[in-house]
Amino acid sequence: MSPANGNYEEVEQRIRELARTALEEGRVDYFIGWTAGYNESEVIPGFVRSADRVDALVWNPLAAYNLTAFLKRKMPDPPQAKIGLAVKGCDSRTLVSLLQEELVDRERLYVVGVPCEGIVNRRAVSKVFANEVVKIEVEDDTISVTNQDGETKQLAREEYLLDHCRSCKYPNPRYFDDLAGEAVTEPEDQAPMWREIEEFEALPEAEKDRLMAEAFEKCIRCYACINACPVCYCWDNCVCRARQPKLVSQKVNAQENLMFQMVHMFHVAGRCPSCGNCDRACPVEIPLYLLHRKMNKELKEMLDFEPGIDLEQKPVFQTFDVNDPFGQH
Amino acid sequence: MKFLPQDQLEAFLAHLAESAIVVAPQRDQDGVLFFQPWEAGAEVEFEQLLTRQSPKDYVFRQTETYLKFGYQMKGKAAAEEEEVGGKKSKDEPAAEEAPPAEGEEPAHEVLQVETVEDAPEQVIFGLRPCDARGYYQMDQVFGGYGGFYYDPYYMAKREATTLVALTCAQPWSTCFCTAVYGSPSGTDGVDLLLTGIEGGFTAEALTERGENLLGFGGFADVGTGQADAAQTVKDEAFAAIDPPFEIEGVPQGLRDNFEDPAWHDLQMRCISCGTCTYVCPNCYCFNITDEMVEKSGERVRTWDNCFNPGYTLETSGHNPREQKFARFRNRFSHKFWYYPEKYDSLLCSGCGRCIRYCPTKIDLREVIRTLGRPHAAEAAPAEDSEAAGVHAQTGEDL
Repeated sequence: MSPANGNYEEVEQRIRELARTALEEGRVDYFIGWTAGYNESEVIPGFVRSADRVDALVWNPLAAYNLTAFLKRKMPDPPQAKIGLAVKGCDSRTLVSLLQEELVDRERLYVVGVPCEGIVNRRAVSKVFANEVVKIEVEDDTISVTNQDGETKQLAREEYLLDHCRSCKYPNPRYFDDLAGEAVTEPEDQAPMWREIEEFEALPEAEKDRLMAEAFEKCIRCYACINACPVCYCWDNCVCRARQPKLVSQKVNAQENLMFQMVHMFHVAGRCPSCGNCDRACPVEIPLYLLHRKMNKELKEMLDFEPGIDLEQKPVFQTFDVNDPFGQH
Repeated sequence: MKFLPQDQLEAFLAHLAESAIVVAPQRDQDGVLFFQPWEAGAEVEFEQLLTRQSPKDYVFRQTETYLKFGYQMKGKAAAEEEEVGGKKSKDEPAAEEAPPAEGEEPAHEVLQVETVEDAPEQVIFGLRPCDARGYYQMDQVFGGYGGFYYDPYYMAKREATTLVALTCAQPWSTCFCTAVYGSPSGTDGVDLLLTGIEGGFTAEALTERGENLLGFGGFADVGTGQADAAQTVKDEAFAAIDPPFEIEGVPQGLRDNFEDPAWHDLQMRCISCGTCTYVCPNCYCFNITDEMVEKSGERVRTWDNCFNPGYTLETSGHNPREQKFARFRNRFSHKFWYYPEKYDSLLCSGCGRCIRYCPTKIDLREVIRTLGRPHAAEAAPAEDSEAAGVHAQTGEDL
């Protein structure tokens, strides 16, 4: 990932201008961007309905939330709303997935693309102090973290980016109506693509089992992961919550929880670019992102497929091609 | 009041562990703080204010097995099945079976039910007063308050549980216990309250259970100034929390604002998951299912939450809370209006976990500030929510 070139303010201004114009012209009912959270360490999704409030929108490396999650089936409120929203590179890939399946109406959408230079791993950063982190600032290659006592620690930006930002191939949005600022340079030499998955794959089976059990023992089945997932769109009809038919047990234990997560992983396979929204939504910090990375590694290696790259492409499990690379093995 | 020197802490835990399961805040492999059963040598963490989840699971289990059940063949057929090792073909004509002899029981299935009793003595150690207050409030729901329901499963565990709470020295920005009748050194539900001062903890027994714990030999009498030092810690923590709303009138406000369009605006970024309710020390909703595999299974009670689509789904197929905003409205109305009407208390102890661990940081304080003001008490007309613009933003912008 390229070092930050510090043009966050310019891009932020551009997002505000584009949102303002769209609202003024009545092209959208509301614009979804990022805004300040409960303290200066948090950036959260923000819904702007009137042009005079667009200054509440922000853009900085804490803007992690994938806003396309608010577009998935049955999520938009009201259902026929004309929506403007900002997307980063990875966010745009889930939007492309939704568009490929015609689950989102392009005519009711106004998309502002945001070139992205990597998002801070807030979870890792907030652990550098035992007490509350109240402010996270990024300047050039340094992250400054301040706790409630006013103590500040400086961290190397490179080490505290989200994993998938470090190996990101698509920092520029794949689909947008307007781009907020200049496209960033697509990285030539990024971190090894599947490093964390290969490390896991190399472990002895018993160790893998132990780690999986440890991770999924924690799951509290709050379903934040699937509700935050942009391409997991069964909404109220998720098989994991259904009583009729009752296919997934309501018991909460490592085995049943893994079963639930497997259902999610397989259901979004070919549509999920592992944007990590599930992982960041998880209140107990299960590294869910790795499950989806594993699936993406398999898709790439077996079928030479990457989700959400091209609007004309079909999700891999909705096509059949006798010449696909996997068929030739 | 007694004093527990820091170097006696582990011995105290070990002493408690002799006669009970001790549950205390410990970090997991990912560095996340949870209440977990303590074993000698394990590191207990008191520096971080709150665990990720409240310890409610130790009394109100996320998966509570009520009973185990199964069907078993009895009588003639059962005996025959045993003879052929249970491999009797289903296709075998029934006519070949001889009728039961005189006095012999005909073949029949018998339902076998086994109840599960699981309420070990436990000490929940180092929980914060807001978490203890969560039990206090759930006790009303499950303990037969006002002649309502008495839940033997919850109560058996609750009665076997001792709460050793720890005064919060440094509240977080999301803490608001003082706005909901609580305190960083609150004693609702608490058996023994520890307060960290230089060199250790002062210990105050609030109940007979707490008094019994002071029998541990490591306690010293409080020295000169120690009681004052503890009081200073308590006072400073109390003063550190700036109450984000005025609680008086909130139930009436929610009633008055039931149809307010601001509900729609505030819920926009809610994703209708159950995180807020599952990290909450107070939320107590549950569901009951029979989990069967073939002819045996368990009847289990699992946590449910008001954001779950099945929560209010009726057998007719109608769902009175089909829309997300109605589910959202219910959560706050239950905590600050419906529950207070029935139990004369609030269903919120102000820990702020729902704000902090919400995937989109829905802010309860903002919801109550916006919708908890009674109409009659309004000095000025409520701000037109259409004009409010950014609704996701916390703070005064609304």
